[in-house]
Amino acid sequence: MTAPKASHATHLDIVGETAKPKHPLRGRVMSGAEMVVQVVADEGVKTIFGYSGGAILPTYDAVFRHNEANPDQKIELLVPANEQGAAFMAAGYARSTGEVGVALVTSGPGATNTVTPTRDCQADSVPIVVICGQVPRAAVGTDAFQEAPIFNIMASCAKHVFLLTDENQIEETVRTAFEIARSGRPGPVVIDLPKDVQTHEAPFKGEGRLRLRGYDERREILESSTISARHAQSFFELLENSEAPLIYAGGGVINSRASDELREFSHRFGIPVVTTLMGIGSMDTGDDLALHMLGMHGAAYANYAVEDCDFLFAVGARFDDRVAGKVDEFAPKARVAHLDIDASEIGKVKGVDWSHVASAKRGLSELLAAGKGFSKSFAPWVEHVVELKRRHPMAYNAGSDKIQAEFVLECLNRIVGGDAIVTTGVGQHQMWAAQYLDFKSPRTFLTSGSMGTMGFGLPAAIGAQIANPGKLVIDVDGDGSIRMNLGELETLTTYDVPVKVLLLNNLGDGMVRQWQDLFYANRYSGTDKALHKKDFVKAAEADGFRFARRVSKKEDVATQLEAFVNFEGPALLEVMTDGHGHVYPMVGPGLGYKNMITGDHIEGRGNKPGGGKTSGGGYF
Amino acid sequence: MSEQQKHTISILVENEFGVLSRVAGMFSGRGFNIATLSVAETLEPSVSRITLTAAGDDAVIEQIIKQLNKMVSVIEVVDFRAGEFVDIELALIKVAFDASTRAEVMNAVSIFRAKIVDLSTSTCIIETTGSQAKIDALLRLLEPIGVKEIARTGSAALFRGERLMTVDREHAAGHCDSEVAS
Repeated sequence: MTAPKASHATHLDIVGETAKPKHPLRGRVMSGAEMVVQVVADEGVKTIFGYSGGAILPTYDAVFRHNEANPDQKIELLVPANEQGAAFMAAGYARSTGEVGVALVTSGPGATNTVTPTRDCQADSVPIVVICGQVPRAAVGTDAFQEAPIFNIMASCAKHVFLLTDENQIEETVRTAFEIARSGRPGPVVIDLPKDVQTHEAPFKGEGRLRLRGYDERREILESSTISARHAQSFFELLENSEAPLIYAGGGVINSRASDELREFSHRFGIPVVTTLMGIGSMDTGDDLALHMLGMHGAAYANYAVEDCDFLFAVGARFDDRVAGKVDEFAPKARVAHLDIDASEIGKVKGVDWSHVASAKRGLSELLAAGKGFSKSFAPWVEHVVELKRRHPMAYNAGSDKIQAEFVLECLNRIVGGDAIVTTGVGQHQMWAAQYLDFKSPRTFLTSGSMGTMGFGLPAAIGAQIANPGKLVIDVDGDGSIRMNLGELETLTTYDVPVKVLLLNNLGDGMVRQWQDLFYANRYSGTDKALHKKDFVKAAEADGFRFARRVSKKEDVATQLEAFVNFEGPALLEVMTDGHGHVYPMVGPGLGYKNMITGDHIEGRGNKPGGGKTSGGGYF
Repeated sequence: MSEQQKHTISILVENEFGVLSRVAGMFSGRGFNIATLSVAETLEPSVSRITLTAAGDDAVIEQIIKQLNKMVSVIEVVDFRAGEFVDIELALIKVAFDASTRAEVMNAVSIFRAKIVDLSTSTCIIETTGSQAKIDALLRLLEPIGVKEIARTGSAALFRGERLMTVDREHAAGHCDSEVAS
């Protein structure tokens, strides 16, 4: 009974094979290193970010020779100051384009320096491939020079890790690594590549991939999953029974390139949208139905809308603790629907009334088609939401003589108007950038959301600029964060990457100080940098910046920002900001939105502007 | 909150470098506990079967299954439901006895249909197979006499009846085809 089916399948396979043209280099004898580089080139990679070293030398040599032989299809090599920079550059490249970014590093310390960006990419679902050299197979496990157990270390941080021990599967492994990185819920894939595998010579096959029985099957099911008519009907019944629906859009919308579908869905049914930090840009922030960011430091009106809604549709979002706070009190009146590509996110944090596992793009398209006849209007709710926006806008200490970071970002926003790619470090400046800047398109706000890696901004901006040569790329950074990868300032001038570095210097780790103000009686243990001697302008000048300026007066901010943004090459503008500013609104850790504090300047609901609790206690 | 329950989970994985450490790492990384674990190749040498038992409430078990299903090297996961599977574990139990307790030990061995695989004047090693519950019961009986050491393999489990896990099914089908062809 199974025999005819099997032969049928084989027949189809053969047809498929002959239809595909053979690789022009098929049959050519190559080293493993050359195969790796050839597959990377075949995958369309134009730039590799990386740092050479003993165990990866053959592959660096192969890049050199590839470029010699293919002057029209060169793979540029961009060398950072530190391998962490390389992998964050690859991440910036990937986040800004959706294409797989590549980092190429040596064994041991080279590889371990990429652990942080690898985990960062896993936590934010960013597709990169990290290729690390490894000591020769015979030396693995002997504590050889520059040996580290990368498989073990990376297995818990990456979507997948290969230790490439079979010299007959080099090209298949590299091809498969790219496929895994970009398919399903994207993520980082690490290839640990022993040196003697790089030097092994064999004929190039030019095709083939590894068989991943379970992964392939699940992927096929995921990619062909459909929302049944009955299931779609139950979604629209929930919507029909709702008077106040709200979409909660996350990074999954951007990852699956579903911004158009989200915007269409929101307008077709008249449903307002709040976005997560990772979802910023999925809606044009200027859209009438866009309510900007929700969560711990979300806009007051966004969080009030979450409080008031009676139906919450989570799309490509995962009820992260920075969003949901106290889960039982999150969207307390709402029935919840959840669309996500990752089944493990459904019900992980919050129970749901309706769910579907698919990419945001596929799921939203199907719901749009299924909802053709839906006609209920949510106009009164939209009016309510517009009123929330009008009554509780973002606000800060605008009258202060000291430069407020919010003021700087408002000025920047007036100049760039949502058209720039913005990267950030982590902390107060990151939250203010999320709150005060507009974004018209997806993949324009690049930030370390889940991991919260300080030092992300500068290398990610380099990667984004390399991938988007004509675009304005601005790294909005803090003095604490930029120090973490300050070595990459030099990378900007070495490669003449015209990134604009806006350094908001409040002489310390502002977000941690904010928590120390709120929860630790102003004891600034380890976070006050007022006595540090660092001169960032001189540092930039020493690295060859032709534009490196400091602004200390409020009246100079706008004009200097204008000059900074319009400067042709890499530029650094340091703005000395008020060190005592707090990010508001704030929903304290482990608390519900009803405990949101809005600070002294944002109009709160129920006349409690500084009121509310600050901490649920015992939570991080 | 539902109560903690013991689950027997069978995982077919690609038989490749580091796969066990990957699966075990997922458990430790997410704070799930593995109670017992056994691993070996299947009829299809490119596939290994990991059988493990883990305790947790419904939400924890659901997350374990879903997270396993995300792993690239995992081919198939089954969380066995009561009654649909057989699970057997092997245990070696070293018991110390004296003249007064010797008969009691022999008695327990015979009632539980266990075997004595090593015997000295004052100790013996008892080999027993069965469900974890059966082994636990035997242990309870022997403990007052003097259990000195124990080695347990962790459960192995299969579906009752004709039901197979996918790869096993394919293997069986492939086996069938080759017979037809010859």
